[in-house]
Amino acid sequence: MKTGLTRLLPYILILLATLALVWIDKPFWIQLAIGVAITAITALAWDILSRTGQVSLGSAAFFGIGSYTLAIFEPLIGLTLAWIAVVVVCALAATLLGLLTLRLRRMYFAIATLGFALSMQVLVVVFPDVTGGSGGIAPPVLADGDPRWQLGLIGLLLLAAVALSDTLLGLRFRPAFFMIRTKPELAAASGVPVVRMKIFAFIVSGVLIGLAGACYGGLYGYVVPTDVFTTNWSVLPLAIATLGGMDTTIGPLLGAIALKALEEVARSVIGGTGYQVVYGAVIILFVIGMPQGIVGLLRKAAALAGRRTVAGEKKKERERHA
Amino acid sequence: METTLLAQSLLLALTTAGLYAAIASGLTLEFGVTGIINFAHGEFVMLGAFLTYFLYETAGVPPLAGMLLAGLAMTALSWLVFDGFLSRVLKQDEHNQILATIGLSILLINLAMIAWTPDARVMHAPPLLPALHLGDVIVPGNNLVVLLVGIALYAGMIWFMRHTRQGLLLRLAADDPQLAVLAGVDVTRMFRLSFLIGGLTAGVSGGLVALILYVQPLVGVDLVMRAFAIVALGGLGSIGGALIGAVLLSAAENLTATFVPGGGSWGYGVAFVIIVLVLVVRPTGLFGSERRA
Repeated sequence: MKTGLTRLLPYILILLATLALVWIDKPFWIQLAIGVAITAITALAWDILSRTGQVSLGSAAFFGIGSYTLAIFEPLIGLTLAWIAVVVVCALAATLLGLLTLRLRRMYFAIATLGFALSMQVLVVVFPDVTGGSGGIAPPVLADGDPRWQLGLIGLLLLAAVALSDTLLGLRFRPAFFMIRTKPELAAASGVPVVRMKIFAFIVSGVLIGLAGACYGGLYGYVVPTDVFTTNWSVLPLAIATLGGMDTTIGPLLGAIALKALEEVARSVIGGTGYQVVYGAVIILFVIGMPQGIVGLLRKAAALAGRRTVAGEKKKERERHA
Repeated sequence: METTLLAQSLLLALTTAGLYAAIASGLTLEFGVTGIINFAHGEFVMLGAFLTYFLYETAGVPPLAGMLLAGLAMTALSWLVFDGFLSRVLKQDEHNQILATIGLSILLINLAMIAWTPDARVMHAPPLLPALHLGDVIVPGNNLVVLLVGIALYAGMIWFMRHTRQGLLLRLAADDPQLAVLAGVDVTRMFRLSFLIGGLTAGVSGGLVALILYVQPLVGVDLVMRAFAIVALGGLGSIGGALIGAVLLSAAENLTATFVPGGGSWGYGVAFVIIVLVLVVRPTGLFGSERRA
């Protein structure tokens, strides 16, 4: 069905884009690319979780936990171990939240995850001795503050996220995820380990978002709770994955590029206050006009084109026979 | 002294509970009937607050009348929003439904920021009622108004649901949409009606917000977050549960702020600890039923 080349296309494009941007070395484009890459990682991670039917509004919790874990552990155990701590803490938080929300369906799940994310923000403010409170905290700066290396590292993380997403879309996982999402009882009856799969998806998703958050914190070496725990980081992944096309790898990538580009345009036209109005407008237009996202639209176009060629060939064949 | 503080704290909690109940019951009605959580519900409250504020500050319209006008305006806006696009997402997947109202919420917040700046404003209306003195405990007049109007809104909604024909049809459409269709009920009309009622209560609640809180573009977010907690406590879709949830939440919040050192900064954190705990113990809320998840 899919040829090897189209499957490799996202990897090649990401690699080429990253190398080209590092080569050109224009600060504006590098910052923009870093923004796109970080949001794309969170969107891919959100999508991975949603494939098991868990539509989360709690991404911000992991984003914030990631940056805070790195900042808190780095002075204690050193940089390398602190990055490992990010993975471990995010995995633990994901397991905990996954188990807590296991029985919740649909809207209840969304509200509970949203509640978790907002509670984390409050937790940070309530324990200022550990977290620095609302004044913020200083995670170690990523790649000594060289934007080109930062982009390179975040690009690598994006490649890893793409590879994970592709693996989970492969034959080994996709049918199980699909069954858990659509008919969980049937999945359990046919021997799919529903609980383990759901928690597994939660962990993969949470760790990816946490790593993205840690990178984000390392961009400037300074974060405040309202920066990383904001509901924006919960809504953005959902919006990007949905606008791009869910249950695909390329969808969140396209969505991230489209939305970030739009944001830049809006910021220069409207200014710093209220520029996010375009998010609202675009989301509403998409939900009405193309509920399957960009990928859905492309597929429809491809199907249409395909039908035309098939019809054309059939016509030719008929003419030949006649 | 301790008891005075406790009584003061609980009485103030009771007045805010009136506001919370009015907001949460609109939200829970919309969810109960359509199965959609309206994340933009708080923005309707915010717009109602701005409308009441501007009507008073620029045209001198008394706040009670302004509130009513705000309610009507938000009913009209709800109509527009429902027929314009929400009716189209009713049959779509849940992520699109969530996204649709979140999109609306982002749109309205940012439009408000562009139009009126993110700054907080205070409505300088004289208190609508004299303050109530109960021994050492003082309840400000505007808080009394909030309690009374909030309870009136809530009671009106309960009455409408239980004692009118439209209310009966609404409950039927909420309980079993397929059966409702078979019985000849225009389900889409019922869905729209639930949003109109939700818009009306949100607009009037906005007027209450203008009386006791700052008027600013983000005020709806704060309130709707609490409404979520209340609705989770009371059970999604249960109007009766909303009042109990509102009283519990505002009591918990006020007691935390009064007695826990630094508890005032916890804000809606209290609400969220409650949400997560309740949903874990009873996934359908304290008074909710299993039927719509």
